[in-house]
Amino acid sequence: MQLMKRKVSKSTVRPIKKIAPALAAASCSLLSVASDTSLARGEAGTWDFEAASLFYVETDDRVSAVEPVFSATRNFEDGEVLNLKAAYDVLTGASPNGATPSATPQTFTTPSGNSTYTTDAGDAPIDDTFKDTRVALSASWLAPINRDWEYNAAFYGSKEYDYLSLGTSGGIKRYLNNKNTALNAGLSFSFDTVEPEGDIPSALVEMAHKGSGDDFNATRIDSSDSKTIIDALFGVTQVINRNTIMQFNYSLSVSDGYLSDPFKILSVIEDTAGANFGGNLQDDNGNDIYLYEARPDSRIKHSLYWQTKYALANGDVIDGSYRFMLDDWGINSHTYDFRYRWQLGSSYLEPHLRYYLQSEADFYKRYITETEYNSGRPTLTEATADYRLGDLDGITVGLKYGHKLNNGHEFNMRVEYYLQSNSGDNGVGLLKDQDLYPDTKALIFQVGYSF
Amino acid sequence: MAELILSPQDNPAQHPLPKLTGNRKFWVGCFQAMASDCELLIEGVDEAQALALLMLAAKETWRIEHKFSRYVLGNIIDRINTASGQPIEVDSETASLLNFSDQCYQLSDGLFDISSGALRKIWFFDGGDTVPDATQIKEVSQLVGWHKVDWQAPKLSMPRKMELDFGGIGKEYAVDRVVLTLNAEVDRLSKLNALSKSSFVVNFGGDLACSGPRLDGSPWTIGVENSERDQTSVATVSLSQGAVATSGDSRRYLLKGGVRYSHILNPLTGKSILDAPHAISVAAANCMQAGMLSTFAMLQGEQAEAFLEAQGVQYWIQR
Repeated sequence: MQLMKRKVSKSTVRPIKKIAPALAAASCSLLSVASDTSLARGEAGTWDFEAASLFYVETDDRVSAVEPVFSATRNFEDGEVLNLKAAYDVLTGASPNGATPSATPQTFTTPSGNSTYTTDAGDAPIDDTFKDTRVALSASWLAPINRDWEYNAAFYGSKEYDYLSLGTSGGIKRYLNNKNTALNAGLSFSFDTVEPEGDIPSALVEMAHKGSGDDFNATRIDSSDSKTIIDALFGVTQVINRNTIMQFNYSLSVSDGYLSDPFKILSVIEDTAGANFGGNLQDDNGNDIYLYEARPDSRIKHSLYWQTKYALANGDVIDGSYRFMLDDWGINSHTYDFRYRWQLGSSYLEPHLRYYLQSEADFYKRYITETEYNSGRPTLTEATADYRLGDLDGITVGLKYGHKLNNGHEFNMRVEYYLQSNSGDNGVGLLKDQDLYPDTKALIFQVGYSF
Repeated sequence: MAELILSPQDNPAQHPLPKLTGNRKFWVGCFQAMASDCELLIEGVDEAQALALLMLAAKETWRIEHKFSRYVLGNIIDRINTASGQPIEVDSETASLLNFSDQCYQLSDGLFDISSGALRKIWFFDGGDTVPDATQIKEVSQLVGWHKVDWQAPKLSMPRKMELDFGGIGKEYAVDRVVLTLNAEVDRLSKLNALSKSSFVVNFGGDLACSGPRLDGSPWTIGVENSERDQTSVATVSLSQGAVATSGDSRRYLLKGGVRYSHILNPLTGKSILDAPHAISVAAANCMQAGMLSTFAMLQGEQAEAFLEAQGVQYWIQR
């Protein structure tokens, strides 16, 4: 190799421009400009927006919901992040009222006490007067305190026709091991008020039958009631290696106050011998007896959560998580969630599988027996037939597709199918012919755009 | 902590993941970008820190590649090149690169021109012997010339069919940007007392820059240019500060009638530069400056040495 190292001789006179100093100045000026990642989201001094709309439809003409959500995030120079979010829900449809289906038609008084609705023989009693809209607003703030500490604070409020929820939360995060480990702790407080049309029903009191001379107002205790919820969370996030990140959380939730659902009732089933054996117990006027549900006035939940994300060499990401929940209502649940993000150039496909298994609450009863009803002086103090508190398992299968556009915006859509099956006591006599645990099936469709 | 895991957005071209080898004393990180082997040599950090620095380097390099490559649909270069005469408003980073290119055009009296890419449509440096004729050159030259571009920051308008290409400065720019990024991270770690003393070299296929001398005070010794005559022999440079960049034609040229046409093209004539050295390496304070000086020297052809002498810089030349 003919390689010559030459040292500068300043005395050399040549008819060539000396441009090195000008070039040095030009390059320094170029490199002093902050690199501009205007195509990247999450940059300081910019707003990122996300708009999405969720459609939720349960089969059998039950609940359907439309929820448009708009979120704006502002990133500041020093690492602070402000997020503002607004959501609007419209729910329509019908929801199971808790009564058992029957061999004869059943007539129920609406929660407002103003009218009635009738369920045909053999059909699941559902309250189809259900329609509500909800507006939710939230603001959150996250900021570093120094290199190792970070805090966050948030406020939340939502309002529906008969329900108001206000909340606030705060948290702190500590980074260790060169940011490979993060410890976080958070506390949140929320205060909810329910003010149902037709007021709050008394616990385990017989539903008044409209037009039969029953005094509807006698079944009511108050125009509104409230509850408080305090949540505490402790978490560890650990980078395991260059491909793997793992998270463990423990959270504690304490609820106090009115935790019942004012719209839910239970059937009272006759347990003496006779023609109506196993059918609904009737009052002196020949009307079926239903009781308003009653739940304990406090609930303590513990949950443990573990999540692992693994990035493959080709850019795909595997995300698996498990949650165990246990509460003093006797419910425990297991949630297994698995996602695979399959990167396809500027698009991705993300199949999703979720399995949920729950055991029933101690006071869950598909119906109340005549003995427990005890001629209107129930031997029970708590009972609910809300299928969401029963033995159940649910499976969700979904697929998400996202596409990153050349301008850095992302479009995504998600389709999910949810199937929930309940199980439990199958009843006695005539009740055995009824389907006490119909499946809940729902289709969820979401479209989103972030820019 | 997310910086340890590269998200798909960080790696839009889906390059293989960076690889780190070495031990407590000396780490070597490698990744692919801009059609080059990119290498990071680091001393004085632990494995997690070395990995974090490597990921930062890859992310920044891939960001620059994705933003300024002329092969990425929809990026700023593509939008400029497909604007068909319409004005395009550019962001501040692109504006500063255009300003720099403009200064280089002025300083080189038109020899360095980011609009000269069209010439590559008639010159093929694949070791073949096809030399374009005068008609072809004249035709293509219509589409070359920075002076035809109307650049008034932040707006640029360019005649239809002309094309801009930052290929001549992109790699050097990425080296300097990565050095800045890594220096900032090393500073951050030092303030945390997570790091006492460290040193690194960023080497993108012969365009390189270091943060300072090695921890024992000695200069870094780095191979810069393979000779086409002997693939195994490597010229080495010693570097204690600043940067070195290399321009060469050892792997890209055209031979016809005993004449070796260098892949360096003169945008003013539309022709290949004759009598250019095989390779020129120049040392300067940063890689952009070193890269421009070596490119300008190449464009001087037989006057390359004279040009470099006049600049008062250290250089290595291979004829």
